[in-house]
Amino acid sequence: MTYFGIRYVFLFLPIVVLLYNFVPKKIKPLLLLIASYVFFYIKSKKLIVFLILSSLSIYLAGLMIKKIIHKRDEIIREVTKEEKKSIKEKFKNKKKLVLVLTIVFNVAFLFYFKYLNFFFKVLNGIFSVSGLDMTLKLFKHLAPIGISFYTLQAISYLVDVYNEKIEADENPLKVMLYLAFFPTVMEGPITRFNDVKDKIWAGCKVKYQNLCFGYQRIMFGLFKKYVIADRLNIFVKLTFKHYMDYSGITLALGAIFYTILLYMEFSGTMDIVIGTAEIFDIKIKENFKQPFLSKNISEFWSRWHISLGLWFKDYIFYPVSLSKGVKNLTSNIRKKWGNKVSSLIMGAIALFAVWSLNGLWHGAGYTFIVFGYYHFILILLGNIFEPTIVKVCEKNNIDRKSGFYKTIQIIKTTILVFIGELIFRAPNLTVAFGMLKRIFTKFSLNGFKTEVLTLGLDISDFIIVLLALVVIIIISLLREKDINIREKISTKPIVFRWALFYALIIAIILFGAFGPGYAPVDPIYADF
Amino acid sequence: MKKLIEILEELQPDVDYETCEDLVDGRYLDSLTILSLISEIEEEFDVQIPTVEIVPANFNSAASIWALIEKLQEEM
Repeated sequence: MTYFGIRYVFLFLPIVVLLYNFVPKKIKPLLLLIASYVFFYIKSKKLIVFLILSSLSIYLAGLMIKKIIHKRDEIIREVTKEEKKSIKEKFKNKKKLVLVLTIVFNVAFLFYFKYLNFFFKVLNGIFSVSGLDMTLKLFKHLAPIGISFYTLQAISYLVDVYNEKIEADENPLKVMLYLAFFPTVMEGPITRFNDVKDKIWAGCKVKYQNLCFGYQRIMFGLFKKYVIADRLNIFVKLTFKHYMDYSGITLALGAIFYTILLYMEFSGTMDIVIGTAEIFDIKIKENFKQPFLSKNISEFWSRWHISLGLWFKDYIFYPVSLSKGVKNLTSNIRKKWGNKVSSLIMGAIALFAVWSLNGLWHGAGYTFIVFGYYHFILILLGNIFEPTIVKVCEKNNIDRKSGFYKTIQIIKTTILVFIGELIFRAPNLTVAFGMLKRIFTKFSLNGFKTEVLTLGLDISDFIIVLLALVVIIIISLLREKDINIREKISTKPIVFRWALFYALIIAIILFGAFGPGYAPVDPIYADF
Repeated sequence: MKKLIEILEELQPDVDYETCEDLVDGRYLDSLTILSLISEIEEEFDVQIPTVEIVPANFNSAASIWALIEKLQEEM
């Protein structure tokens, strides 16, 4: 069962909504937890044990940290100001021990399921190069769905309790629901406990408006997936599989189509996730904010998969850049070269950590590692050259706020994103670099003309994709101007609203890429 | 407060710090500028800003940054 599947949209979700409305208010959150575990069990069977273990570990560790904090506060009340510091330090160490052990416990599962095989492959490579007659046996196993997502949520809960940003919750079921909540468990967004804790446990009745808004959003997600992503997939699959047979322009189009496909698939999933939560009156923060209007790579990552970027910023970037070690390391630089240079180096060290982990988070493979460092280098170069670019523009009277300059920046960023996503999609680095080389060296217009219609899409497919993208672009531009389209539509007469809703359903049925000749996209982020 | 505005103006001159209330959300202060700002604040006002305090709400306006500095000074 996937979020895009008929079984989810027309069977699982309606049944949960009906039952949810039927049971008493107090039972409603419990029903959401049962539904979440049923959803998880359908996907991962007995591996649900690991989700439960993660939930219980952070629940218990949270309570232990809370107890330590209370004890510290009791003692501190009765001591002098001078003694406070050493007592605080002593209790901080106790808190830290619980925090570190619990994070290691949770990350160990993640490592086992996602990275152990890759780690063994790397070691086998080293053994082979160094002439050692040793081979570690690789094994096949499935990971619990969404382990990368819920582990990050688990860490955020615990670190926030440790930092006294939130108070550990006394209710184990609430913490369990926070990690397992079925709309977000498989592909995020990575929520924060403070943002959702009240709503997931409020047990509000399903309102007519929420139901309409929720299902409208779900339909919009289905439209993106079935009309655009699934249609482009066949073209993408063939270009990446047989890249040596195609000319540069065709391969470039394959890379562009993959980026569009990925955006439609992932943002479409987020539409379904946010729409589902909306039905239960639970507001989940947006995970995308018109990423293709970004003027640089750094901005792109603040608009694309926002919850992941924020997680890395809060739990890796600032803690690393402002850690004692990095501060000590850069203190001499600060004295010698000034604050801006030392901040640049502090930022570079933290960015390196962020993008090493970000690449690995996306998958255990060399392409993902290169994908991470590609972004690290681009952002670092952007940071280094930003002051020079500002000076050059000022000297040449170039208005950096003009529409023309911004458009050039957006085009540049989008091209860099296409290259990054090509590396991300390629099955290995040979294919990634082979494709990039052909894009720039085998640039044949004649080759493109003969190839373009042999890759599973005909003229009508291209027209449908183009028209659907025009609709998406118009909606994106309106959103960028803070115009809420759904609220605007909701003020129109009921006949218009239902006509529009039916038009969306008919568009999915008529123009969805179903049947033979098309290759549906598997949920890409569900594997992370 | 005057010193804080001076620091901010040196780091990012194109902003009216008396009125702007979305320094982070409006992307006037990016992550690197925030790092520079933290270093300057820590040196100038003799405080340590813990990472847990680096949230948009604390950095969205000069007034909120000043309130954070005062809070940290009180806690010392």
